[in-house]
Parts: sequence; structure tokens; C-alpha cells
Amino acid sequence: MIQIQNLKKSFRTEEVETLALNNVNLKVEEGEFAAIMGPSGCGKSTLLNIIGMLDNPTEGSYKFAGHEVGGLKERQRTELRKGNLGFVFQSFNLIDELTVFENVELPLIYLKESKSSRREKVMKVLERMKIAHREKHFPHQLSGGQQQRVAIARAVVTNPKLILADEPTGNLDSKNGIEVMNLLTELNQEGTTIVMVTHSDRDSHYAHRVINLFDGQIVTESQNRAVGAMM
Amino acid sequence: MFKNYIKIAWRSLKKQPFFTSLNIFGLAIGIAGGLLISLYIYDELSYDTMFTDANRIYRVNADIKFGGPARDFAVQSAPMAATLKNDYPEVELATRFRTVGSMLLKESGTETNVKEEQATYVDPTFFEMFGVSLLTGDTATALKEPNTLILTKTAAEKHFTVNEALGQTLVLNNGDTYTVTGVIEDLPRNSFLRDHSVFMAMEGYADSRNTEWGSHNYQTYVKLIPGADAKSFETSLKNILKDYVMPWAQQIYPGVTLEQFEQSGNYIRYSLTGLTDIHLHSDRVAEISPNNRIENIYILSFIAIFLIVLASVNFMNLSTAHSLKRAKEVGIRKTLGSGRAALIRQFLIESTLIVLFSLVMALILSALALPIFNSLAGKEISLPLLNPVFWLVLFTATALLALLSGSYPSFFMSRFIPVKVLKGSGENSLGGSKIRNVLVIFQFAISVFLIVATLVVYQQLRFIQNKELGFSKDQVLVVNDVYAIGQRANSFKDQVQGLGFVESATLSSFFPTPSSRSDSSFFKEGSTEQENAINMQTWGVDYEYMPTLGLKIIAGRNFDRQFGTDSLAVIVNESALNILGLQPEEALGLRLSRDLGEENPEFYTVIGVVQNFHFDSMRSDIRPLSLNLADNSGSMAIKLKAGDFSNAVAQVEAVWNKVAPGQPFNYYFMDESFNTTYEAEQRLGRIFMIFSILSIIIACLGLFGLAAFNAEKRTKEIGVRKVLGASVGQVAYQLTVDFLKLVGIGILISLPIGWFAMSKWLEDFSYRIEIGAWVFVLAALLAIAVSIITVSYQSIKAAIVNPIKSLRTE
Repeated sequence: MIQIQNLKKSFRTEEVETLALNNVNLKVEEGEFAAIMGPSGCGKSTLLNIIGMLDNPTEGSYKFAGHEVGGLKERQRTELRKGNLGFVFQSFNLIDELTVFENVELPLIYLKESKSSRREKVMKVLERMKIAHREKHFPHQLSGGQQQRVAIARAVVTNPKLILADEPTGNLDSKNGIEVMNLLTELNQEGTTIVMVTHSDRDSHYAHRVINLFDGQIVTESQNRAVGAMM
Repeated sequence: MFKNYIKIAWRSLKKQPFFTSLNIFGLAIGIAGGLLISLYIYDELSYDTMFTDANRIYRVNADIKFGGPARDFAVQSAPMAATLKNDYPEVELATRFRTVGSMLLKESGTETNVKEEQATYVDPTFFEMFGVSLLTGDTATALKEPNTLILTKTAAEKHFTVNEALGQTLVLNNGDTYTVTGVIEDLPRNSFLRDHSVFMAMEGYADSRNTEWGSHNYQTYVKLIPGADAKSFETSLKNILKDYVMPWAQQIYPGVTLEQFEQSGNYIRYSLTGLTDIHLHSDRVAEISPNNRIENIYILSFIAIFLIVLASVNFMNLSTAHSLKRAKEVGIRKTLGSGRAALIRQFLIESTLIVLFSLVMALILSALALPIFNSLAGKEISLPLLNPVFWLVLFTATALLALLSGSYPSFFMSRFIPVKVLKGSGENSLGGSKIRNVLVIFQFAISVFLIVATLVVYQQLRFIQNKELGFSKDQVLVVNDVYAIGQRANSFKDQVQGLGFVESATLSSFFPTPSSRSDSSFFKEGSTEQENAINMQTWGVDYEYMPTLGLKIIAGRNFDRQFGTDSLAVIVNESALNILGLQPEEALGLRLSRDLGEENPEFYTVIGVVQNFHFDSMRSDIRPLSLNLADNSGSMAIKLKAGDFSNAVAQVEAVWNKVAPGQPFNYYFMDESFNTTYEAEQRLGRIFMIFSILSIIIACLGLFGLAAFNAEKRTKEIGVRKVLGASVGQVAYQLTVDFLKLVGIGILISLPIGWFAMSKWLEDFSYRIEIGAWVFVLAALLAIAVSIITVSYQSIKAAIVNPIKSLRTE
């Protein structure tokens, strides 16, 4: 599903050029659950942004489901992203002015789905996330765990092939964190590919494979045997 | 401490150059606009206040209905002034003016005339009445003797120096010789006598001694003794009717009584207008100078207040919007021990600084705009920079504006709760967005209202200018002051008619463009009751009048040299027929006379009916009119064939110089003169347009700032939407639409108000447009288009930002 070869990403500020990613080679198969770990500033989020087609690499190749994405224009990336990718963020990034239902509905609106189909899909996913009773509430009326469940619902409502999670439990207590990780595992077991950036050793154990980044380079890759051990 | 406040204020303004300059620019435009209008209004309100005892001087008016439509006159009968002085102890002085229009002056023994625009006969009480002093001469004797006159300085200096003026002689209109007995300063631009430069002794004007109470030609002013009650004096003027007018009328209509006169629906009512009220509160027949209307002053005051409020609203909007950025600062300051009052002071000082900068910029802007404004408004206003009162008013207004504009943001910001804002979660709990929305709605309501007003004024003007007038004003050259050449006028006319490019030429003093007017009461043969009198405009014309002006005869015929009896023929217009209750054909042969009460009245026979044509402003209906043959050669109108008009003018001038050597050649084209009739409306239209553009600029500056703020506030949301698949277009649309909703509400509020106000304005015109729906559609579309342009820049800018930047959590 994801094939990255000799990928480089550099940022220019006024005076210096910083190399955020340096010669990264990475392959993620369909149905895989991969965790990217590493200290702050090692390039985890940059890599995730490129995988999520929010950013272009400076050099190298990135193929998503066989398509070269590296040189695409923003409009083309947006089109490819729609329906294929779901995002889960550390700080949830729900829109405060929209209700739970409306937040989850948003990606479907951008996919131009009909109103009835949207209603059906949103309610289904809300029920699955056990948050349907809160559909009319606004984000600030929910607990952190509930907010992240809504964010996950929003990420999966389009039934994407790939979910990208950026520290999904970073703002949650351990009980809610476990709940969120269980949800992601469940989605993975149903066939969704997941790439997750995390600081947490505990969370990384949910993944099939852990990729360690340091100073913009992959330093180790390890396979987890006991998948779902903590379920 | 205070210095510290200013230092911090200065730094925080410098830190946000974009918002600071938006604020300053918006306010500066508002203040400059308000300042210019205030100066205009101040000038309008100052009319005639320079005269001594102006508050005790009144003009005596007459409202008359005597056959035909009622007319409100600014003039009186000749004997009124003396009667008031003799019979009423509260009258200290009375002065009459008998204006005669333009006048040609030349020194005795020379041939070259100089034209003065306005000349008048005046009583010798003039000096004492108005406190006018002489630069040279003696006020006690100056206007006592017949054939004496005084001049303004400018008029005198066209002939001799002021010091040499006394005793010099001048020939007036190539006729009588007058001796100069004094020179006065030029009369102020803001006085009712502003265009008058020649004042002749009333003593030499025989008509001034007439005792006819029914003929009104004299502007009559009285000065009441100090403490006199003008109201009760005005009421007591009723007695004049009983004591003087009726006894005079009975000589003409033997046996007529006051009761009969009143029962027939006719009346004469006397009233007073304070000298200082004339300019803005008087619109009567025979005003001595054109006046303005108080409604225009109200409209302008309204616009000035609008502009300043708009700018002030902008300021509040931008400041509170921007306050979110400063929430953290407030939180830290409060945590460190600052009280609310100290914060309010700090923010107020910031707003005062902004207002002061705006004031400086506004002064520069208004100084730059003043020449344009003056030509728009027809004024000679200058910034009274040396007048301490001006500065006092300006600074007081500035302080008020700073307080008004700064208070809401200060109180708003100083209320932030430190724990909330410092946690960073406060952004959305900080209110104020509702009030900001209301303010945006308010701004656009005003702007759209002004657009509607501008469109309606312009449409009405175009309607007037394009309306079928009933006469042809194009290609008509009018040569003025033909009366000055006396009998040679006919020779001039003959020679001009011989020119190849001339279709026809006519001599008359009466034209549909601003010129002389004269009216009389007519009686049908056999009907001598005064209630059947018809008051009609009475114009003396010649045989070529109708074809030259393209007037249309709808029954009967034009005057014709073949009919010797046409010297006693009359042509009337359709409005006259309406009063007579006759169809055009029925009127032919009708005999009318002006000499009722005389033993052998002279009768005029109606030989034709002319289609109605507009000879007054479109504000009033077309009045009854009668045309008769007369040797009345005030001016000559020349209908030209299409071609080179400047060459035509040159050739006519050559003929003039041959026939009338030494006489100034004055001419105008009739269509241009027609347009000046509506100068007031044209000015109003231009003023509306300028200030609606200004108000839209101010509203857009505010909208621009708010859009920037909004985009900033919604950065995270925009990022999320983009990650979820929204395109740049969708995001930009979303951001723009939210503002358009506010603009839309503003439009909905302003349209009915605009419709109502402009319908009221149009009611002043007898001939007016219907306000079409397109006016509102256009105004709405303009406002929407302008706001889309304003907002979309910020929206697109926000929409193309890479979402990674906005969603970064580290």
C-alpha cells in the first residue's frame, strides 16, 4: 500500500536548511498496523504528513496504492486523500462550532454523498463508537475520551483504506487511551491499514511493526509478535 | 506611570502594523468626511448672522391666493414698509429693496459698459438697518437723493479707486446718469445680498411711491425694537388687510367686503421670516438670492454622523476582534497584579493614540480634498486652522470619539479572566462576536442605504434632464442684455436672422430657462367677480417666439403679421385652460382682460392654445401662462442649424459689435442654463455619491480586518476541513459566505428604509420617477460584490495555507 524510497524532506528558514527526513525507505503492506516511534524532532510527524499527502517530499519517491504521489499538486493530493485516508490527531481537532454528528459528517459532505446516505453512515459509525447518544452535543461538552472517539468516527466514516494516527492517546488518561487503542486494533482487524506515530511504548505494542526514527532516518524496525496482547 | 502607558501603547500599536493602519485609515476617512460636512453646515448656518441686530430683523412675506394657484411671495406691496413704521410702535426701522437684476454701468462720456450681475433700489435706512458702513461717503446722506447710488468696493474699482469714487457719475443701462455717494465693502459670500454690487436710491424710483396694495414687488425688512415679540407682531399684521388692503380693493371692486373676499377662497396672509432663517427656511417667489433647503442640511448632518459612527464602529470591531491576540497579555498582567482600571486606562490610551494619528491624517486628507469638495458643494470653505475655536471643537470631538470608540474594547478586554485565557482554551469562550456581527450588519445597512439614495437622486436627475419639456432647448443661443441697445435690438435681430446658420431668432425677456417672470390676474369678459379671476404668467413675446423655441400650438394659431389685430391677441397654455374649465377649441375667441374695475377695459382675444411646456423647476406643476405680442427685448434667443457652434457664436458677436459697439456681449446656450436649474440636486447627487463611496470604503476596511481576524481565529478549523478533503475553493467559500450572511441582513434592513426615505425625497418633485426594483437589486449586488472582493482575499489566503502548519500541536 505504501512504498517510500530514498525520501528526503528539508525545510528552509531564512538562514538554515534543516533536513527533517533523510533517505527514508519504508514499505507498509495492506492490512498492516505500523507504529512510528522516536524522540521529539526526529521527523515522525513530517513522515506522517507526507504519508497523509498533506506535504510533498523534497526528493525521492512515494507510491500510494501503486500511484506516485510525490510530485502531485495540492488539488490532486486532496482528491486522492478524499475517501482513502482517515486522520486521528492527538488534540482531536474537532471543529468547535459543529455538533458531534456534523463533525463526523464533514468528510462525507466533501465526498458529495447524499444526505440520507450521510445520515445512515454517520449514525452507524457513531453507534459503533458508542457515542451516538451524544450526536447533538458540541465537542466542548464531551470528555477527552469521547472527543477522540468522535475523531476516530470521523476518520473511519468514509471507510478509508488507511488511517493515520498522530499520537492518538497523547491527550487521554490511560483508561480512555486503552479504549482508543482497542478501537484502532478492531478497525485494523477488519482490514484497515493503520500507521500511527506514538511516544508510548504501551501503544506501540498494539502495532505489528515498530519503526524507530532518529534524526530523520530509520534506525531500527522490529516486528511485534504478541499483537493485541493487552486487549 | 502615564509615560509607561504611552510607551506600551506605542509598542503594541507598532507590533500590529496591519490592524493599526486599518484602524487609523478608517477613522481618518470618517473624521475627514465628518469634518468637511461640518464645515459646510457651519457655513450654511452662518448666513446673514454678520449683520448688526440680525436677530431683530425680519422679512415681511405675503401668501396670496387670488385666482389661480396660491403663491407665497417674499415681496410686499410698496406702501407696506412705511405703513409698518408708522402704525406699529414695535417697528424700529423698515427698509425696502426693489431688485432689477443685472445692470450695465459706464462712466459718463465713455462708451464701454461694465455689467454688474445684481442691482437694486434701496431705502436710505439700509445702513442703519443692517449695520453696513461706508468706506467713503456719509451714511446720513448717501442714499437720500434721487439718482444717487453706492457701489461695493469691487464694482467701484472697475471704474475708479475707492478714494476717487465720491461724486463720480455713472450712466446706467445707457440711460440715466447717477452720482456715486458711497462705497461699501463687498458683501459677504454668506449673506442674502452676496451677489449685489449696485445700490440705487429708492427716492429716484417713482414706482416706490405707489399706493397699490395688490402689487407685490418690494423685499421689505423690518427691525423690531429690542424685546418686541415677533409672534404677536406677526399676528397683528392681519389688521393691514382690513385697514389698508380692503379699502384699496373697494376702489376696484366697489362694495366688496373682507368676508366676500375670504369666502371665495382667496386670501392674503402676511408673515415674517427672521433674517437669519431666510437662507435655509425660505423658498418663496422672488427671493433676493437663491436659498438652500434645511432638508439638505439635515441629510448632510445625517451623513456626517453616519460616517463618524461607521468609522467608530470599525474601530470597535477591529479592536475587539484583535483583542483575542492580546488575551494572553491581559491574563499575564492581571496575574501580575494589574487591576481592571489600570487595564482600561491602558487600552483607552491606545485608542486615544490611534484617534490622534487619525486626526492628523484626517486633517491632511481634508486639506487635500477641500478644493474638490468646494467645487462639488459650490462653496469657498477653508480649514479655519488659525481659529482657536476650531481646534477646541476638534480636540473635544476627538476626545469624545476616542472615549466612544475605545471604551467598549477596553471594558471588553479588561474583563478577560486570567485562568481561562492563560490556559489557552479561552479563545472561543471570549464573546463579542455577536456584537461584532451586529456592527457589520449596521455598517452595511448604512452603506446600502446611501447607495440606494445615490441611485435614486441620479435617476431623478436624469429623468428631469431627459424629460420631454415641451420646448426645444438644444442649439438655442441666448444673447443677454439686448435691452441695453434699445431700438437697435430689431436691427440686431434682422441681421442675425440673415446669417446662414440661423433658423430663427426671437426677442423677449421671458424664457423657459431662468429669466424674468411676470404675472397678472385676468378676467373673462362679462365676469367681474373677483373670485373668477385667473392668475397667469404674462409674457411678452414676438412673432418668432414659438418657432424659435419649438413650442407646439394645439388649437388655433401663432401670432401673425397678417393680422393687424394680433396686438390684442393672447395665446394661453393648457394649464390656463384647466383653470378656465375649457377644451382647447372652446377657448378660441375667448376675451380676457387685466383691467378690471376700469371704465374701458382692454380685452385680449385668445387666438391659440400652446401645449404645456416646463418653465419652472420640475418641483412644481406647470402654471397657467399667457403670451402676448410686446416690444420686450431683454434677450434674444437664436435657434441655430446644426454645425460649428463656436463659429456661430463668433459671427453673432461680430454682428453685435457692429450694432452695439462698446456693449458687453453676454450669451449662454439654453440647454446649459437649463442644467443649472437643477444644480442643487446635482450637488446633492454628487455629495451622496462621494459619501456613499466613503462609507463603503470604511465598511470594507472593517470587513477586511474582520475577515483577517476570522481567518486567523479559524486557522485550526480550516486545517481540519482541508485534511478531511475540503478544496481551497470550498474553504474560501465557507469563510466568505459567513460574512455575506451579515451583509445580506444589512441589505434587508436598509432596503425598506431606503425606499421610504427616497420616496419622501421624491415627493418634493411634481414630476418624478417611480423607484424601480432594479435600484434595490443593483444596490444589493454592489454591496455583495464589494464585500466578496474584500473578504475573499483573506479567505483565499487562509484557505491555501498548508494544514500541517495550522494543526501543529507542538
